[in-house]
Amino acid sequence: MPEPFVITRAVHGEIVVLALAGFLDAHTAPRFETAVQSEIDAGHHRLVVDATALSYISSAGLGVFMGFIEEVREAGGDIKIAALAPKVREVFNLLGFDAIFDLVDDVPAAVERFTATPSA
Amino acid sequence: MSHDDDAPRSPGRGQAWKSLDQGSLEALLESARLLHGSLEPDELLRSLLRSVMGRLVVSRGLLALVDEDGSATVAVSRGFKNLAEGAVFDPSARTQAGIDRILPMGDPERPTGYLALGKPLTGVLGARETEFLEALLGIAASAVDNARSHTRARELNRQLDRRVQQLRTLLDLVRSLTSTLEPQAVAQIFGLTLAGQWLVRRSAVHAWRDGHPPVARQVGMHFVDARGLEATLAELGGPARLEDLPEGDLRRTLEAQGARLLVPLLSGERALGFAALGEPAGGRTFDDDDLIFCAGLAAQAAVAFDNAWYFAEAVRRETLERDLRLAGDIQARLFPDTLPRPPGWRLAARNRPASAVGGDYYDVLSVGDDEAAPFLLCIADVSGKGMAAALLMSNLQAALRALLGTVEGLVPLVSRINRLIHRASPGNKFITALFVLVDPGSGRCSYVNAGHNDGLVARAGGGLETLPSGGMPLGLFAGAAYSETELALSPGDLLLLYTDGVNEAENPEGEELGEDRLRQALVGLAQGTPPEVVAGLFAEVDAFARDAPQHDDITLLALGREA
Repeated sequence: MPEPFVITRAVHGEIVVLALAGFLDAHTAPRFETAVQSEIDAGHHRLVVDATALSYISSAGLGVFMGFIEEVREAGGDIKIAALAPKVREVFNLLGFDAIFDLVDDVPAAVERFTATPSA
Repeated sequence: MSHDDDAPRSPGRGQAWKSLDQGSLEALLESARLLHGSLEPDELLRSLLRSVMGRLVVSRGLLALVDEDGSATVAVSRGFKNLAEGAVFDPSARTQAGIDRILPMGDPERPTGYLALGKPLTGVLGARETEFLEALLGIAASAVDNARSHTRARELNRQLDRRVQQLRTLLDLVRSLTSTLEPQAVAQIFGLTLAGQWLVRRSAVHAWRDGHPPVARQVGMHFVDARGLEATLAELGGPARLEDLPEGDLRRTLEAQGARLLVPLLSGERALGFAALGEPAGGRTFDDDDLIFCAGLAAQAAVAFDNAWYFAEAVRRETLERDLRLAGDIQARLFPDTLPRPPGWRLAARNRPASAVGGDYYDVLSVGDDEAAPFLLCIADVSGKGMAAALLMSNLQAALRALLGTVEGLVPLVSRINRLIHRASPGNKFITALFVLVDPGSGRCSYVNAGHNDGLVARAGGGLETLPSGGMPLGLFAGAAYSETELALSPGDLLLLYTDGVNEAENPEGEELGEDRLRQALVGLAQGTPPEVVAGLFAEVDAFARDAPQHDDITLLALGREA
């Protein structure tokens, strides 16, 4: 049984952290897309996705990231992905996501990355 | 994977080792450790060539590996200007510039590769050096084989991982689409899956079907007339890379949107939509395997779109049918629950609509409160069927009930009703009706026929009479004139009113029951009570029609004066 998919939102200054839990698949990806879209609509372009409790990600889930990365980077922000479990990270690597996205060990490190080197 | 057990591949190599001195053997051992410690063929070969060139003091050297097809390719090259890495190496071409010696790597019959050397700076290669080289190359051969099979295994594993991942994606898509009944959600799920699978930032999914709003999901792309591509897409038959498309409008349209892959969504011969994918991030391109997999995903999406539209249509149909059923229920309440039972008289009636809502109507209304008061019989047939007919019919009922008792005389009543129906109905709708006013005490009746089927009277003595009629149907002309005819019913007489669904009932051969058969049947049944006559006639109609579907409502109303 797939675990329910839950998105929890936290704000660290200018950075919004979206913590994901459960299965991010074709079924739940539309919800995640809506969540990210509403952050961007609200002008939040510095996003950290906390994947600590994310147990599965499918192509559709990765598709959400693809659809926004250009927009947030053009707006001077980024989507950093923190604390991927090894199994989930495998999917990122297999499809080549590690070359495009900033994958960080944990949320503090991701936040640090934003503050230490403000993206161009 | 251990290579300790590997049999020596070069015959006589073991013997050659015997003549090597201690120092050479130690150097060999070290090389063996080094070579077998590496699983990267390139790194291994570079290290091998380095140690050979260093030990023999040669300034030119190369290592070539034999490919699966038997040809050899230069893998590492130092100092040979015209034999760069990746060049074809022909070991039989002795004249290749600058090559002094060529030695096979491993079994000379089936070498793993070759070592080619320029002239040693010290002059010539001695027997010892040659022996050392042969031994070293033997070890290197097994190390290279080992590394190559490791690379192959890793590549196979990677391919397998990719396949497994593709299957997961397909499964995920299918599972999610099966529970999706919104065309827009299908586009979203499909678009997200494609974007994630191929790392594309820009994508579009379009789908269309007549009678449904067009579906579009566009991320960084904007197609103006997506459906304009329909014919071209159907011809395409499957996913196509931009560069595979012929020059033309389609290619130009895609190019303008930065699309690199076009994926038609096909349902049978027709295209119901397409997906367009931009350039994959990280410099990837779409290979043939991608195209095949993508076609599989597209097939699932096409089915899901079809299902979603079909579902929407089913819901629409269901809503319509529910409306009709509700209307039918309301209409059924327009018929009298129970018929009055004036002393000395017996009534029976039955209506069977051909569809959920019908156009026939009958009513029996008392004109006054006491049992001896006259009562009015009415039977009517609204032209057409369905909701329009049902609405007009309820109009007739309302008019009749409202006017009865306020208008003196049958003709003025029918004239008023005619004007009301005329006002309420569009030009081509009308109602045929027969009204009979009965005085229960005397049996004297009067009737007005407004274009309806003639009533029939079965006399107690056995005769059958047709009530002569005139008059225009209700609602056709506001000023239509009606006339009243007298009729006397004696004890034992039976009056039958019916609609044309009775005499026009068809059997499977398309033959109509006809008035003659109806009359004969009535003569046969006339001795029974009105309920028996109505039931008997319905049975007669059913026996004649057998299983043929009836296109018209069937209504019978019988009035008998008890003997």
